[in-house]
Amino acid sequence: MRRRPSLLLFLAFWLAVPAAVVAHAATPPEPVTVKLTPSVIRMGTFYGGARVRVEGTAPAGSGVIVAVRGVGATEAFKKVERLGPIWVKTGNVSISGVPSLLLVFSSKPLESCLSRDELDRLQLDAPAVKRAIQIRPPQQGADRLADDFLKLKMLQATYRIEGGGIRTTPTGGSRQRYTSDFDWPKSAGPGTYMVSVSTCQGRAAGGDLQVPLKVVEVGFPAMLADLARERGATYGILSIVVAVLAGFGIDFIVTRLFKKKMMATH
Amino acid sequence: MNTIQILLPVAGLSISLPVLVGVGMVVGFLSGMFGVGGGFLMTPILMMLGIPPTVAAASDSCQIVAAASSGTSAHLRLGHVDLKLGAFLLTGGVVGGWLGVRIIQIWRSMGSADLYITITYVVFLSLIGGYMFWESLRSLRRGALEPKPHVTVKREGLLGKLPFQMDFRRAGIRHSVAIPFLVGGLVGVLAAIMGVGGGFVMIPMMVYLLAIPTHVAVGTSLFQILFTSAGVTYMQAITNHTVDLMLVVPLAVGSALGAQLGAQVGKRLRGDQLLILLASIVLAVTLKLAIGLVTAPAVSLSN
Repeated sequence: MRRRPSLLLFLAFWLAVPAAVVAHAATPPEPVTVKLTPSVIRMGTFYGGARVRVEGTAPAGSGVIVAVRGVGATEAFKKVERLGPIWVKTGNVSISGVPSLLLVFSSKPLESCLSRDELDRLQLDAPAVKRAIQIRPPQQGADRLADDFLKLKMLQATYRIEGGGIRTTPTGGSRQRYTSDFDWPKSAGPGTYMVSVSTCQGRAAGGDLQVPLKVVEVGFPAMLADLARERGATYGILSIVVAVLAGFGIDFIVTRLFKKKMMATH
Repeated sequence: MNTIQILLPVAGLSISLPVLVGVGMVVGFLSGMFGVGGGFLMTPILMMLGIPPTVAAASDSCQIVAAASSGTSAHLRLGHVDLKLGAFLLTGGVVGGWLGVRIIQIWRSMGSADLYITITYVVFLSLIGGYMFWESLRSLRRGALEPKPHVTVKREGLLGKLPFQMDFRRAGIRHSVAIPFLVGGLVGVLAAIMGVGGGFVMIPMMVYLLAIPTHVAVGTSLFQILFTSAGVTYMQAITNHTVDLMLVVPLAVGSALGAQLGAQVGKRLRGDQLLILLASIVLAVTLKLAIGLVTAPAVSLSN
């Protein structure tokens, strides 16, 4: 009875060692690593945009693709059509099926790196995004509307899908280091965005790794945004009071500062 | 150029602070000088800066409160505000605004609201701008007028026979209270349909229909704009939640400063000079709008 604990330890040791060896042999080398700086963008009072760096390592010789996506949501627009000689807004159109934000960077040209099927599957270029666009209500001229949606998103800087923008440097082994620096679009609001890093080789994609990038309002702007959403009446009265105070306050200051001059001109 | 940026929490984007103050000053200057709210200029400028249209329109109405407060205060000191007349115009404006909203609802149910609104906008702007320009030009050609003695203008004929005649001493007119009420109502209808404060419609109506001296028209118009824009701000805050206070404050400071300057510069100009300048601005905006209407847009989608 006294020998039982040491016997159990002996057995556990000889079972654990081979299990660890087998487990180690079964783990494939990590295809990509990723580090995001910053991982949280804090939008304070004097927020003026942010510079984001995505970096890590990938197998040497492969292409690296970084895609940043916003959550897909239905976006409402007005359709502009020609009525006689004038262009007017004629009806509502909603567009869904695509991310609210899409930034794609690559170390090699996307068309040479991935097959059309892979580009479509991963929604990495303009034709792929265009195929995924759903327009409601269904209508004639949907193709042009899809083109115009992409054009509008690019004008707003929330879509950047021409690739490029990744530097790679060999690390001396079977790995390479990659770095992508980009300006976070100012028009991209608070929310959680997904940064995915994948590799491409032989026109096939691999090693997809995703990390979240959070954009949050902090401090005074966060408090104001909450107040505007949750307490509309209070916020409305506060806005009017602030505006009236600014108006009469400036008038008071200007009158005090330039009193003599103003009196002289009367 | 690196300038101080501020975050607009409701719009969800950041923007240059000096640019906002500068835009506010320019529009505030026009506001103080001509007695207009400046919404017809400010909202498109904000949209050009990348601010969503709903936030631009709602925040603009709030900054007009600041410009109108500052301008009204300056004009009160100069003796250019007829409070009694302003109260009747305001009452009419509220009723007219309600009627205008109902008209838009009917047009929306017919599915052609945007078309009618656009046509109303262009037609009225060109008519008002053109008439103001023509009248002011005629007045300028006649040369500088002798300053009129401050006497009350009495309406002859049908207008003079209307009931509830009242003296508006500061404006120097005697009218039935129904007249400013109806003028306010008409401007309210147009303002609601066109989505603007209505100052640039109100000023020519006051000058040409009610025979009010231009400077008093400017001051009194600002006084009533202060209340209508405050009402719109409150409604926008409780229904759409699109008033961005961080956007309003720099615009308000800029426009309040600009309004002071505008009131001082306006004081140095004659009525016809003021009107021809305002007419030129209205016609320029109309022309830009008309060109935009017949030019194919870059994209066939709009927010």
